[in-house]
Amino acid sequence: MKVVLGADQSGFELKEKIKKYLIDNGQDVIDVSQTPSKNFVESSLAVTKEVLDNGITKALMFDEYGVGSAMASNKVKGMVTANVNEERTAHMTAEHNGAKAIAIGAGIMGYRLAESIVADYLKTDYAAGRHQIRLDMLEKMI
Amino acid sequence: MLDTDRPQPKFMEPDIDKHMTIAIGNDHIVTDVKIKVSDHLKSLGYKVIDEGTHDFSRTHYPMFGKRVAEDVADGRADLGIVLCGTGIGISTAANKNEGIRAAMVGNVTQAKYAREELNANVLGFGGIVLGRDFIFDIVDAFLNAEYKPSAKNKALIEQIDSIAKPNPEQKDNEHFFDEENKKWAQGFYRD
Repeated sequence: MKVVLGADQSGFELKEKIKKYLIDNGQDVIDVSQTPSKNFVESSLAVTKEVLDNGITKALMFDEYGVGSAMASNKVKGMVTANVNEERTAHMTAEHNGAKAIAIGAGIMGYRLAESIVADYLKTDYAAGRHQIRLDMLEKMI
Repeated sequence: MLDTDRPQPKFMEPDIDKHMTIAIGNDHIVTDVKIKVSDHLKSLGYKVIDEGTHDFSRTHYPMFGKRVAEDVADGRADLGIVLCGTGIGISTAANKNEGIRAAMVGNVTQAKYAREELNANVLGFGGIVLGRDFIFDIVDAFLNAEYKPSAKNKALIEQIDSIAKPNPEQKDNEHFFDEENKKWAQGFYRD
């Protein structure tokens, strides 16, 4: 499973730390922000393109608050990005929303919480079933 | 906007009237939390449009996210508030509408930021992930904050607004999800 990573200036440092954690754990990563993207719109759209073009199911977006990356990327048809602040939402959004990305606010959370959230998100599969109608509805929208 | 477009309550205590209408929407997991938010808003002097769902029968959050978003986009409400279990599903649905910037938040800091810097017009949060008092703080922070225009955030907002292509088939179309609801009724979506 490939994991796409992207970050603006504010999210770059935390992205680098999480990237190292993923690589150390044998994860295949695609980093669309080898250097910081100009802003969170550009980083989150670069992640979104990589995800949607290649059928990737897991991605991480880093900016200062997490709010902007989720807002911008969810404007792309077919994208579902979850702004996540704790493990419960990380788990539930993977299982129920099939979130193709999570956004993390590097100005909001520290490394240990980010690591735990990422681990929970990556190990949880989408449940489909009754949840699929909601995803079909979301994917029909702009 | 016509005064008659404004729904209940018809009369507001003049001392507390905020002269603002908030549209609220939720899924069946958090209807009780939504009612608490609604009462909280009314006690503060906001008018409320409750777009449902109104009970705990299983339903689908995109329908209610869309209704709240359209209330805001069409000017029936000044701002919107949406909640589901985590807030993710319904805030994403609300965001996928023309003229809407929906902010999914987990704390007061993000709620304030979303208004001040992104001029967000819909607030989303998790109704079972967060507790009542924290939710009230988040709602208050969002409603009390004001957009602080700057060259930098104007450019960002413009960039965000230009991402999605408007879909006239979607906007204000109450039958937009009929196909999915029909398939659901036919038992197409099973666990």
